[in-house]
Amino acid sequence: MNKLSLIVVLLAAFVLTPGAALAQSELENPGSVSAIQERAFRMSTEFNLAIGVLPLDAFTKQVYGQVSFVYHFTDYFAWQVGRGAYGYNWSTGLKAQLEKDYGVLPTTIDVIQFFVGSDLMFSPFYGKAAILNRAVIYYEAYLLVGVSVFKYTNAFRPAANIGGGIRIFQNKYVSYRLEVTDNIVIKERPEQVMQINLMLALNFGS
Amino acid sequence: MNRLMAMAAALLMVGAAAPQGGAKTDPVTGEQAEAKPKEAKPAEPAPAAAAEPKKEEAAAAPAPAEPQKIDPKSFDRALESYFLGYPKEAAGLLFAYTEGMPQTDENYAWAQFFLAKSLIDLGLKHSGGVYLARIARERSNPAVLPKAMEELRALTDIPHDEVMIDEQVFGALDLGFLPEEIAGYAHYQQGLVDLRVGNERWATTHFSKLTEGSAEASRAKYAMLVTRLKTSKKEAPKEMIDQFLELSEDEKLTQEARNDAMLAVARLRYEQRDYKGALEAYGLVKLPELDPGRATLYLEEAWVRYQLGEIHAAMGILTTLDAPSFRDEFLPDKYLLRAFIYRDLCHYLPAKRAAKELTRKYAESLDAIREREDLTKDARLRRAASAKGPAKRARKFLESLELEGEKLGKFAGAFGDRMFSYMTRLYDLARAEATRVYQERLRDATRAEADKLLRAAEQVRLMEYEVGLKLYERVKKGSKLVRDLEEEKLKDGQIAFRFKDEYWNDELRDYRFSLKSRCIEESAQ
Repeated sequence: MNKLSLIVVLLAAFVLTPGAALAQSELENPGSVSAIQERAFRMSTEFNLAIGVLPLDAFTKQVYGQVSFVYHFTDYFAWQVGRGAYGYNWSTGLKAQLEKDYGVLPTTIDVIQFFVGSDLMFSPFYGKAAILNRAVIYYEAYLLVGVSVFKYTNAFRPAANIGGGIRIFQNKYVSYRLEVTDNIVIKERPEQVMQINLMLALNFGS
Repeated sequence: MNRLMAMAAALLMVGAAAPQGGAKTDPVTGEQAEAKPKEAKPAEPAPAAAAEPKKEEAAAAPAPAEPQKIDPKSFDRALESYFLGYPKEAAGLLFAYTEGMPQTDENYAWAQFFLAKSLIDLGLKHSGGVYLARIARERSNPAVLPKAMEELRALTDIPHDEVMIDEQVFGALDLGFLPEEIAGYAHYQQGLVDLRVGNERWATTHFSKLTEGSAEASRAKYAMLVTRLKTSKKEAPKEMIDQFLELSEDEKLTQEARNDAMLAVARLRYEQRDYKGALEAYGLVKLPELDPGRATLYLEEAWVRYQLGEIHAAMGILTTLDAPSFRDEFLPDKYLLRAFIYRDLCHYLPAKRAAKELTRKYAESLDAIREREDLTKDARLRRAASAKGPAKRARKFLESLELEGEKLGKFAGAFGDRMFSYMTRLYDLARAEATRVYQERLRDATRAEADKLLRAAEQVRLMEYEVGLKLYERVKKGSKLVRDLEEEKLKDGQIAFRFKDEYWNDELRDYRFSLKSRCIEESAQ
């Protein structure tokens, strides 16, 4: 047997063995088993209170408060009908340095004052986790995509956003969301605005 | 009782029980007792009192000697210690008192009672029960008796000597003088004894004296129903199912008893082929959250679902029974049912394998049965037999005696040689008797389990034969696969967690199996 044949045989054995083992296992224990359970927590109409930060801007940092309203069409799909946030800004040392050392006018650096937006939410992940074998917590993870309008010091600017988050259920009515969203603000040179939100979600009507 | 109350009670007792200085009074109720303020500190055994038992020992150890006089005040000191929360000291003093004083002494029964209470407080529940049972048998003081009976009643909630307490005390008690609650329990026990020996009429007489609506009345109803069910030769009437159903909702019964009543409903409905009703009843058995549940309950539910044609759900439950919590359960039927399901879906090789798994898993037990060995030596059969019924109760009692025997060693110094050797002997004898009772019950129970196993093994042989025929059956020309049994679709609000060999207690009742049928239509040419 030449070298090539040997390699082919070994390769074939390598590729086929797991398949054969699987077929054997399927023959011995055919079928599959799932645990079918009622979802312990289902969302319906959700009202959120959040605090968040805009951490990316090198000149200004912002902490904001946000309220939002979400309507869940199914367990997987929801519409964050509206959200609005108003922030408190503080300058980093860099801004002061630019003004002092290079004479940059304070009005040249645009600062976000408030923003509003709307998103579609997709929640394909729902799970439970054991905490030290003593309790079980339920959570879901979601993706969101939406649009926002940012009010800067000098102008309103539209943005598209994409993000994701995790929701931990406390009970039927209360859950907590931690989400990260990246906004692409549309202007001459598009810029990124990242939001990190910690939210208290109140669920009604489930 | 808080400390102040305890002190007050102790002082009342001390004053009341003191033989000198005034009228004799009831040591517990304290009637006519004079309050004597004393400092709240543990009573030191008087040197004389402490020395006396040692002196006694030499004389008393070889043969039961004449009761020797001891200081009557040691009783007061013992009570004081007991009420101040020092049962170890109290037990030593009270034992010396009961050994040293004649039975005619007016505080003798009280000394036995508080000795029993002290021992129970120290975790030596069996020896406490022995003293309480002695009070019940001797009946030397009518004031002590009801209290002793109450304590004995409380001991019946934990593993206890059934012969000594249930049969010799409650089962043989003259009931005229007891408070209502205790009399109720005694009537219930005496009724049970009558039921066990097959005298339903006498049992009914006892049960009819129970207060309507009491917990004992509910338990008596349950016992009567179970007995009637056991003795009934015909199919159980519908009224019996209704009565069990009523009991399953009776809040005065323990949750376990209610569950047993609901299980009886389910089983009776199954026997009457009311499978939907049976399934509903199984669903109403309430288990604590995250409790793994009872294997037999799951297996019975699986059979019901199988009979209803819900074979995927039935197989899901069988997956549950493979969980680590149930791996040691003795469930030969499990393998058979799995084989039936595979056979019904025309997966013949897995069916054969599932059936053979039974003979493989229980090979040692089957060999032991065939070789007519002592079945109580077979680990699987022994475990199965001692997991339920009288054998389980006997095992639990034996285990509790072992534990208490070990605990007794801790009190060797505090009790003194005489008491310690007496207690050691008491526990040795109790252990020997409990072992005998356990072995006797175990023998009967293992035989029953062996019968069950043999029946299942017989079914396996039939299954193998049937599957063998099917395996080599010719497929007729034009054969088509039969339409699959419809698997239940996921409903709105449901979620599926694919099983990957990891068991979660909250999922144990929710497994669903998915497998396509390979059966072909019989009508093909």
